[in-house]
Parts: sequence; C-alpha cells; structure tokens
Amino acid sequence: MEKSLFDKYGGFSTVSKIVMRLYDQLLEDDDVGPFFDDVDMPRLIDHQTKFVASLMGGPASFTDTHIQRAHHNLEIAPLHFDRLKEIIAETLGEFDVEEDDIETVLAAFEGRRKLLVDG
Amino acid sequence: MTIEAINEQLLRAIGVGVALVDLGSLELNFRNDTFIEWFGGPEASVRLGDVFPSLDLEALSREMADGGKFTGEASFKLKRRRMTVAIDLTRAGTASEPIAVLVCQNITRIKELESMIDSYSMMVERNTHEIKREKEQVEKLLLNMMPRSAYEEYKSFGVVAPRIFESVSVLTLDFENFDKILEANDPAVIVSELNDIYTAFDRIGEQFGCERVRTNGDSYFAVSGVPDPVLNHAESVANAAVRFLRYLTRRNESHPIRWQARLGLASGPVVGSVVGVQKYIYDVFGPAVELAGRTRGRAPGMSIAADSSICDLLDSRFSLTALPPAKVRPEAPGGLFLLEEASQNEAHGVS
Repeated sequence: MEKSLFDKYGGFSTVSKIVMRLYDQLLEDDDVGPFFDDVDMPRLIDHQTKFVASLMGGPASFTDTHIQRAHHNLEIAPLHFDRLKEIIAETLGEFDVEEDDIETVLAAFEGRRKLLVDG
Repeated sequence: MTIEAINEQLLRAIGVGVALVDLGSLELNFRNDTFIEWFGGPEASVRLGDVFPSLDLEALSREMADGGKFTGEASFKLKRRRMTVAIDLTRAGTASEPIAVLVCQNITRIKELESMIDSYSMMVERNTHEIKREKEQVEKLLLNMMPRSAYEEYKSFGVVAPRIFESVSVLTLDFENFDKILEANDPAVIVSELNDIYTAFDRIGEQFGCERVRTNGDSYFAVSGVPDPVLNHAESVANAAVRFLRYLTRRNESHPIRWQARLGLASGPVVGSVVGVQKYIYDVFGPAVELAGRTRGRAPGMSIAADSSICDLLDSRFSLTALPPAKVRPEAPGGLFLLEEASQNEAHGVS
C-alpha cells in the first residue's frame, strides 16, 4: 500500500508543527483571518488539526456533505479560497514538503472549491 | 547609562508581562512594554479588576495578606488570537507602602498545543475504535470459515498444522433429483430455500454438538469431534440426522418444493486442516468422510444410511435395519443400515 503524505512526512510529529504554523498564518492574514474572529481557540485548533490531517491522508476524513454543512453560513469568495490555498502552499513549503506532494494536496483542496465558494 | 537605567530597560523589553500593583487600591503603577502590548498602555484602565475581569480579587487580597503569593490564569484576545497568561503576584515593598510584583507568562502556545493534542487523540481514539470494529468483523468472518481453535492457531503462528482426529463421526447429506429441482425453479428461489434449510441444519447441528464443515450445492457435510473432542460423537450426528429429516418433513408440508434428503453417517479417523494460501478454508477429509459419502449413496430418499463403523457406537435409542447388499458396488465390510430413532418402547427394551 502506498504511504500517505501523513506518514511520509513523519506523522503527527511534523503535522502538529504544520497545524500550528497554519493556525498562526490564518489568524494573522487579513483576508481569511476575519472568518475566525468569533471562533473559539479549541474549536479552531480542532478544525485545523482535522483539516491538515485529512489533506495529508492522516486519521481524519470529511465527506463532502460534512464540509458543505460546516461552511454554509460563511460567505466565502473566490479570493478567500485562493488566499487559503496560497497559505497552505507556503506553509507546506516551509516544512520541506516536496513540490509534487504540495501539488497533490492543493489539487485535493481545489477539488472541494465548489463546496465552499459561494455562487 | 546607570545600572538602574539598564535594569529598567531590560525589564521593559523582556517577553514577560510585568507590572507593579498597589495592594491598597488594586491599581497598576508600572507596566512594562510586553504588558502594555497585551493589555494596553496609559489609555487602558489601571484597575486590576478591569484588566483581569476573571480574577477573584477578594481571594487575591486574602492571599496577599496571608502568604504574599498568588497565582492564577487569565485569557484575553489579542487581535484574533486568544491569549492565555499565567499570573504570578508576589508581595514586595513595605507595610506602609504595600505593593506586589505582577508577572504574566505567555502560555498561549501551551494551551493551543493542549487543544491540538486533545483533538488528535480524539481522532486517533475514534480510528482505533473503528479498527477494532473492523477486526471483529474480520474475525467473525474467519470464524465462519474455521473453528475457533484453528483460528487462534492461525492468528498466533500464521499457519494451522494438520491434525489427525482418530475417532469422530461424519454426517453427509444431499437431495434426490436436485438437477430436476434446479431445472424447474428460479435460481434465486433455490438459493433462498437452501439458505433456509442449511441455516436450520446448522442450528440443529449446533444443538447436538455437530459443526458444519462445508456445503457444496445440494451437499451438506458436518462433523462431530473436530476440532474439539466430543465423547458421544456418534450419537451427536445420529441425533442431528434424525432431526434434519423431521425438520424437512414438516417443512415440505407447507412448501412447494419437496426436498427429499439422503443422509449418510460413518465414524472413524479424519484429518482437519486449513487448506489454501490465499483463500483459506478449514477442511476435514479422510476415511470417515469417504465412508459417509459412500454410505449416503445407498440411502433412499428421506432416510438415513449408517455405516457399521457408527452403528457399533450407538445404543438402543436408535433402531438399525440392515440394508440389502448393493448389486453393483462392493459393499462395506460390516454392511449398511437404515437408521431411525427408536420408539419409546423399543428404547426401553419392551417388545
């Protein structure tokens, strides 16, 4: 069986660092940050942990319905989605994730665009 | 620059929030840069209760009066981030001028990491639970294919060593005119009927200490004494065989397909083992199985033929009538018998 990116990059030990970095980046970013203004820290961390773990094939997965339901109240514009994609790419790059693997993650992320972006 | 000036600059610049608290008014006198960055400078309130609304000021004053030490935790928002600090107050100054040094350590990251570990461990626990459930399902499936003891052996060693069972009893069954029934009925109906019948046989067999080894189309094959020894294995298969027929007779009364079963019973040695590498199946074969198969061939519809090897092991609860010798095939040395359950009187030796 092919190794998941989660295992390839050292499991939770690395993924935890990626999660924390992503968390910092998201909160600091003025485009996507406002979405998290009223989200409590444990909830946001929980969300980020599952998000990164599922992107990298770790022990979490979301169905499309689940993703859609979790975001349906948010007015997510293409700009926000693109910005988040950039942040993910930058963060993964910082942790020496190979270019091809970043592409794989971004493609999986892009595949969910319709579930999140309005209109 | 004087030592005092250097000290003050250091105090201002360190990454720990420091303030001086007037214990009389519970107001802040001095705040270093980090403290100001977190809680605001001159524009912010100087009242301790305003800066830390969650602090129990009464408890704090009590602690200051008693031991001069107080610790606590407080959270606040800095831009979008929820910050958490560990608060440490130590009494300083004199009785006439009571002040305390307030030190705030940033423990935000620790809290964030704690949350992440919580989230991750919940994920892992859920996954572990799912894996356990799947494992149980696989185990259930494998237990349908082999007896528990063989499964345990397979789990521990990766193989199941063939075992010879010296004295066991075998029951085999098939149906007369199965090919004609197949032609006349829808395959789905046949499968459903066989499923129904075999399930009933399994249940009856289990009741009497027999275990089904396999079915193959219209043939059903069970043993007693494999892999766990059964003292009265001959009686087990004889009892099961009698009840199989009784069940079928009753079933035939209310169902369109009238199944006419032929049963063969024999006792003797067999070999039990898992056969196959990719597709495991626990199989039982050997002289007793061959004998039971041949014996079944001599049974008329809705009857039980028993080889002499099993007849010797049965008591008067079963009546045995010798079958006339076969015309074509060579007969088994001890002859074959039709087996029935003896009536109450016969079983007690009353003629």
